[in-house]
Amino acid sequence: MDDKGFLYNEKHLEFKNLVIKNARIICPGPIPEIQADIEIENGIIKSMVSDLPIGDIAQYSPIHGNEKIKTNNRRVLIDAKGMVVCPSFMDMHVHLREPGNEDEEDIESGITAALHGGITSICCMPNTKPPVDNQYLVKYILQASVKKGFKVYPVAAMTKKLEGAELTEFGLLKECGAAAFSDDGFCVQDAKLMYEIMRYAKQFDVLLILHEEDYNFSKSGIMHEGYFSAKLGLEGISSLSETVMVARDIMLAKKTKARIHFTHVSSMDCLELIRMAKEDGVSVTCDVTPHHLCFDDECLEHYGTNFKVNPPLRSKEDREALAEALNSGVIDAIASDHAPHIEYEKNTTLKEAAFGVTGMETLFAATYSELVINRKFSFQKYLSFLAQAPYKILGLKSPEIKPGNTAEFVILDLKKENLISRDFFFSKSLNSPFIGQKLTGEVMCTINNGKIGYLKI
Amino acid sequence: MLSVKNVIDIADLSVDDINLILENADTFNEVLERDLKKVPALRGKTILNLFFESSTRTRISFELAAKRLNADLINFTASSSSMKKGESIIDTIKTIQSMIVDLLIVRHSDSGVMDFISRNTGLPIINAGDGKHQHPTQALLDLYTIKKAFGDFKGLKVSIVGDIINSRVARSDMLLFKKMGMDVTLVSSSMLLPENLDYFGVNVRNNIDDIIETADVIYMLRMQLERQERKYYPSINEYNRFLSLDFKRLQSMKEGAIVMHPGPVNRGTEISEAVMNSEDTMKQKIKINEQVRNGVAARMALIYLILTTG
Repeated sequence: MDDKGFLYNEKHLEFKNLVIKNARIICPGPIPEIQADIEIENGIIKSMVSDLPIGDIAQYSPIHGNEKIKTNNRRVLIDAKGMVVCPSFMDMHVHLREPGNEDEEDIESGITAALHGGITSICCMPNTKPPVDNQYLVKYILQASVKKGFKVYPVAAMTKKLEGAELTEFGLLKECGAAAFSDDGFCVQDAKLMYEIMRYAKQFDVLLILHEEDYNFSKSGIMHEGYFSAKLGLEGISSLSETVMVARDIMLAKKTKARIHFTHVSSMDCLELIRMAKEDGVSVTCDVTPHHLCFDDECLEHYGTNFKVNPPLRSKEDREALAEALNSGVIDAIASDHAPHIEYEKNTTLKEAAFGVTGMETLFAATYSELVINRKFSFQKYLSFLAQAPYKILGLKSPEIKPGNTAEFVILDLKKENLISRDFFFSKSLNSPFIGQKLTGEVMCTINNGKIGYLKI
Repeated sequence: MLSVKNVIDIADLSVDDINLILENADTFNEVLERDLKKVPALRGKTILNLFFESSTRTRISFELAAKRLNADLINFTASSSSMKKGESIIDTIKTIQSMIVDLLIVRHSDSGVMDFISRNTGLPIINAGDGKHQHPTQALLDLYTIKKAFGDFKGLKVSIVGDIINSRVARSDMLLFKKMGMDVTLVSSSMLLPENLDYFGVNVRNNIDDIIETADVIYMLRMQLERQERKYYPSINEYNRFLSLDFKRLQSMKEGAIVMHPGPVNRGTEISEAVMNSEDTMKQKIKINEQVRNGVAARMALIYLILTTG
């Protein structure tokens, strides 16, 4: 038992019967909220009624001294008064680092971090060592996550060894469980090869998740090219690095009718291209990261390595445009691009430091603070970016809170403010740009696969 | 007293700080005229010259400055250190911190490394050039050279010519010259300029002939071929046509106007042989050697003020 109150895998809490009292249930989209007690038996939602009889409350005793979480040794009772219950989140862009870099993260620690972030489904990217470009690694990841009772959707490489030269076995990989295909972290530079990839993806009706970067614009770059890179004397990465590839791939997708998804979009110009492509009927979706929504290139003024990401944090105008594009529906989803790095890869000079930040655990609080608190998005609309759109993009059914379904939801405290410290995290890595930031909103409990995955005491 | 403990970014210095440094530079300049070129101002202080990137003139200039102030100076160069054996920069810094010195003078090829060292040591730092970011002591000695030529700064027209994008000297000079009330113009080409120059608030021209007759100071930059992955610029002929200082251009400069260069000069690229070899009145315009000389006095002033502040 960790004093942070993490109960994942705690055998003594695996009760047949779980009741969430006083749940205020809010779902994405224009569905009215419900006030009910949720009764869960053997992992399935049995009933959702007001004033569910729970017997004599005096028979229950608090767990770890918390009056809101009680048990009578047959049933666990969680009082959600003052909080909000929502379908749990999907993070469609995560680096689990297993196999190869288990010192940074592994499947188990990644699942722990996900549950802490209110996430019950993740897509993991194939740039492990060795990369996920074969059936054996896809099966390995699926088996390891099934063992933990958690839904990991492996994304397989589009090209062998992520080298951007030869296609992987799309058909076989799909059959053994690859949820999508991506060379994330790399971008296929050869337009003709990309065209072949899209044609083949169309044949198997698989989704391509695209990291867009023209290396001629980005190589040796450290941060966004603009006012601050000029001031700081750092090599810039022009927005054109992303834009020219987005333009290319929209044209290829239009021609091939492949389903493509641009991940971690960062620049305003590519948003305009995506908007037009959607209007034009091209099958394109995209996501944005919490860090691109919450920070811009000014954050690098003090050369902090936890603001070094790829694509880079863009200008203030780009950041505004990203929020606006979420609001207008050009951007479909939010994904963290959770990229754990070991301490020494970040505790160095900006030039030497690795690109990437962790993000699953702050996914909710960071984006809730930025979008709902600061930018006044409606909560239900906001929820769709985390709890609806990612499932839809992957062609999966999003979890619904209703009787007969497996319980899969989060309990959120929308008022709690936290100063994020290094102690906050369960991930093996601590390279978060949100350390030292005050965020509003906290995941109190994550119910995954009918069981308590995370519970804050 | 200076308002700062470190000089990492020239923008950190106030106008009062800058004037104080210039006044002290005058005093120390006088010391350099003496037969015994040494004052006991910093006896017992230890300075570490930490050069992660090779340098001759800047390193020697700092070394002379420290020695003429009677401070003990130790040279650390990356080629002779355990950095070559794979020690990480954070461990190198921790090792240096344990040796207990009073001041670090640091040069490094990465922009922003000074902030990292400063955060990790808490020691006063003078930036002797970091990547493409800044070279504040060069800017101070340049300013001191201008002061000696003109006496005042207000309204002086300064043109900085050439490879701006790779130049830390240009970044520091632009900021310092603007701060002292000069009118700064960059003369360069698209591939040699950063995309966004808003921070610096300067004018931009593409042809040296546009400014040659009106400028008070022509600051020629070194074409930094060592920082270019491939040649940015089409040819030296083209460079000579638009961006070089040749003898004809030198002659068309107005009376009293001066030519500066941070050195070392690429003869035939940014400045022609004929200009470098010029004599008499034309030679008086060229302040390149005087800059080097003023560098020692300006650095003495800065080291002295930092080690006697607080």
